[in-house]
Amino acid sequence: MPVPASSITTSPITAYPIHRHKLNNGLEVIASPDHGAPSVAVNLWYNVGSRHEQPGRTGFAHLFEHVMFQGSANVASGQHIGLLQAAGASVNATTWFDRTNYFETLPTGGLELALWLEADRLGSLPEALTIENLDNQREVVKEEKRQRYDNVPYGDAMRRLIELTFPTDHPYGHTVIGSMADLDAATVDDVKAFFATYYQPNNAVLSIVGDCSPETAFATAERYFGALPAGPEPPAADADPLPPLTGLPADETSADVPADAVYFTWRLPPTGTREFDAIDLGLTVLGQGQTSRLYRRLVRNDELAESVSAASMGLIGGTSFGLAYARVRDGVGLERLHDAVLTEVDRLVAESVSEVELRRAKAQFERHWLHELARIDSRADALGEFTTLHKDPARMNARLGEIDAVTLDDVSTALRDRLATTYRSTLRYRRAGRDIGEG
Amino acid sequence: MTLPRPEIAPPRPWHFPRVARGQLSNGTALHSYHLPGQQIIVAHLVLEVPLSAEPRSREGVATITGRCLDEGTRQHGGVEFAELLETEGAGFGIDVGLSGLQAVLDVPARRLDRAFELFAEAVIAPALAAEDVDRGVQLRLAEIEQGRVNSASRAGTEFRRAVYAPGSRAARRSGGEPDTVGEVTAADVAAFHTERFGPARTTLIVAGDLTGVDLDSLTERVFGGWRNDDQQVCDPRPVRPAAPAAVLIDRPGAVQADLRLGGFGVDRNDPRWADLTVAGYAMGGAFLSRLNKVLREERGYTYGVRLVFNPLRSGGSYAVQGSFRTDVLVEAVSQARLLLEVADHPFDADEVNDAVSYLTGVSPLRFATAAGVAAQAGSQVLAGLRPDYLDQSLAALREVTPASATQAYQSVVALDAASLVVVGDADVLAEPLRALGYPDLVVVEN
Repeated sequence: MPVPASSITTSPITAYPIHRHKLNNGLEVIASPDHGAPSVAVNLWYNVGSRHEQPGRTGFAHLFEHVMFQGSANVASGQHIGLLQAAGASVNATTWFDRTNYFETLPTGGLELALWLEADRLGSLPEALTIENLDNQREVVKEEKRQRYDNVPYGDAMRRLIELTFPTDHPYGHTVIGSMADLDAATVDDVKAFFATYYQPNNAVLSIVGDCSPETAFATAERYFGALPAGPEPPAADADPLPPLTGLPADETSADVPADAVYFTWRLPPTGTREFDAIDLGLTVLGQGQTSRLYRRLVRNDELAESVSAASMGLIGGTSFGLAYARVRDGVGLERLHDAVLTEVDRLVAESVSEVELRRAKAQFERHWLHELARIDSRADALGEFTTLHKDPARMNARLGEIDAVTLDDVSTALRDRLATTYRSTLRYRRAGRDIGEG
Repeated sequence: MTLPRPEIAPPRPWHFPRVARGQLSNGTALHSYHLPGQQIIVAHLVLEVPLSAEPRSREGVATITGRCLDEGTRQHGGVEFAELLETEGAGFGIDVGLSGLQAVLDVPARRLDRAFELFAEAVIAPALAAEDVDRGVQLRLAEIEQGRVNSASRAGTEFRRAVYAPGSRAARRSGGEPDTVGEVTAADVAAFHTERFGPARTTLIVAGDLTGVDLDSLTERVFGGWRNDDQQVCDPRPVRPAAPAAVLIDRPGAVQADLRLGGFGVDRNDPRWADLTVAGYAMGGAFLSRLNKVLREERGYTYGVRLVFNPLRSGGSYAVQGSFRTDVLVEAVSQARLLLEVADHPFDADEVNDAVSYLTGVSPLRFATAAGVAAQAGSQVLAGLRPDYLDQSLAALREVTPASATQAYQSVVALDAASLVVVGDADVLAEPLRALGYPDLVVVEN
C-alpha cells in the first residue's frame, strides 16, 4: 500500500501529576490536581466485582451497587444522589467483572459533601438497609436487565459468549447482571454480609482529580474516612490463568433479530501485560475501524457483512476475553460469513500484522487514550483502575509508552499463542423463522 | 463520632470558553477555542444545509454523502484515504441533523497539520465512487432494519412521526426512509455534494490546546482555496405540530414496553427556554425528579424515566420516555399523567434551586474538553444561536422563579394535546390503554 511514513517521530507522552497517600485504615488516596476548571472528580474503586461472587449468589455485586444509593446512618434513601445533584454533581456508579466504582464530579466547593456522603455509606450502610429498600432495588435491577438485555436484539449474546468461554464455576463464568433467581433469593442478611466482606477502607481506592491540591485532598480524605476501622482482608478471587479453549465449543440460538450473526471468542492473557497489549493491537488490526481487515474484506470488498468488529476485554483475574463478530448482509448465508471471518482470523495468525498496520493501531490507541484522559472524571477512574488492579497509579502516564513499546514480534507471538484456530468458541445467532439452509 | 454534613462552598465563577472569530478568504467563518492542556484537537466543519434541501424522493442523500466523504478522495482513492487518516491517529465522523451537517475531525495536537489537510480533502474533493454509494445505501437500509426491531429506537422514530406535521421533514428519519434512501444513486450524491457543499454559510470550529499552532495560516492553507460557484443555500423551514395521536407498535411477547408521551415544544430562542429547562429537570431530569422518584424509586416500575425537551432550530418536542415492564406499563402511564399535572402542585423554591445548581454545576465538566466545546459550538451554529449563548443561558437560569417555571411548563406541557407512543405487546396493552383515555389508539404491526 502506498502509505508514506508518518511525519511524527517522537513518542507520545502524558504527564499528569500523581500523588499517593495511604490512610492508617488502608484506604489508598490518589490526588491529581488540575485547575483548568472549577470542578473536582471523586472516584471510589472497590475491589469487588462479579468475579468475587459465589455460586448461587450471582448478580450480588451489582445489586449491592444499587443498594449503596438507598441511604445510610445520616443519609435518607435516594438522598445520596439528591444532595450531590443539588450541588451540581454528575453522579453514578457501575459494576464490572473486576470492580465496582462510585463517582461524582462537581464544583469544587462540594468536595467535602461528596467525601462525607461516601464515608457515611462506607461506615454505616447496614444501619439503614431495610427489606423494603432491597425489594425495590431488586425490581429496578430486573427492569435494568429487561431494558439492557432481554428486550434488545442480540441482547443475550454476551451471556452466551461468556458461558462458552469460561467454565460455569469460574469467576468470569457468569455475567455481571447475574441470575434473577439468585437476586430473588437474597436476604437483607446476605447483603449485609456482602458489605461486611468487601466494603472496607482497605479494599478501596479513592481518587480525587481536579481543582484541589494534593494536601487538601489528603487532609479531606483523612477527615471523613480516617476514623473508619480497617476490616479483615477480603478473600481473593481465583486468578489462575486458564489454558486456551479446546474442543471448539459452540452454541447456536435464534430470535427476532433482523440479520444472522456469528461470534468467535478466545481466552486471552490478563490485562496489564505486554502480551495482552500485543493481542489487543492485533485485534484492532483485525476488526476496529474501516481500514481493519474484517471491514475491508467482508464489508467493503466481498459485501458479505453489514457490520464487523473485533476487540479485547481486559480482565485482571488470569484470563481476559477476546471477541470477533460479523452480521450478514441481506441474502448472505451465515456459514459463508462464518468461513470468511475465520479465514481472516487464520490469516492474521499466520501472517501477523504489517509494520504500518501496527503503527496505525498504535496511533488510534493514542487518540482514544488522550480522549479518555481529557476529562477529570475519566482520569480519576483510570487512576482508580491502575491503583486497584496494577497497584501503581503511575502506569496511567506510562500507558502510551507501554503501547508504543509493543513490537511486531510481540504481536505475532501473542497471536500464535492465543488465537490459533483451534482455540476459539463459536456462537451462531440466527434470525427466527429463517431456514437453516445456506444461500 | 459522626461529622455533621458539610456545607457547600459557593462555586467559583465559570464561563464558556471564549471564542476567537475569524474568516477565511473564501468567506468560511472560523471559530476557535483555545483550551490549555487539551491535547486532542477537535474540529467541526458546520454546513448550514437543512435536510429540507434534500429532494423529497431521495431523502437520506445527505447522510449517504456524508458517510462517503472518507471512503476515498480524488487524490487518495479507495481505502487509501482512510489508511492515511488512521495512520495519522485521526478520527473522522459525520453528524447529520435537521438543520445541517457537520464533519468532525479529532486528532492529537502533535499530529494536527497532516490530519487537517486530509480533513479538508474529504470535505472538498471526495471521490463519491458508485460502489461506495451503493454500499452506503445497503448499510443504511440494514441500519433501518436494526432500528425497527429495537424497541427504544422504534419508539423514537414513531414519536417524531406522531408529533411533527405529516409531510414535514422532521417527521421522517434524518437518514432517510427505506423507500427514499433505497433510491439514492451515485449521481444523486454527486449532485448533492456539488450543490450543497461549499464555503458559503459554512463555519469551521476548532477547539483544543492551540499553543504553537498558527491556526489562521493552517486553515487558510487547507480550506481557504475552497470555491464552489454551484453552491446553493437555503433557509431551514419551520417545523409544525401534528394533531395528537395514540399509537401502539405491537411486539408480541415483549417483556417491556417503551413509552413516549409528549408533544410539540419550543426551541432555545424561546423566552421560556430557561424556565422549561428548570421545570423539566424537576419533573423528569433529576434522579429524585417527580417522575423518577415515584416510578423507579417508590414503585420499581422502571430502570429510569425522564422528561426530555428536544429543541430544534425552530420549535421542538418534549416527551416522557422510559421502558417499563409490560404488566405495569398502563399503570405507569396513568401515574405519569397525574404527576405531569402541576396545577395543584406548582414547582417550589427547592426544586428550582436544585435545578439551577445542577444545571450550572455540570457545565464546567461538560465543556472542559475540546470535544465538549466543539460539539456545543457546532450545535449553536446550527440552531442560529450566538457563541455566547451558553453564558447567557446560564444567566437566564438564575432568573427562573417557581412561578415562571410553573407557568412556562403549563404553557407547553398540555396532556390533552399530547401524543402517546407505546412499543410493546398489544395483546396485553391495547384494551387497557384505550380504557385509560386513548379510545382512538391505533395498533400497528411491527
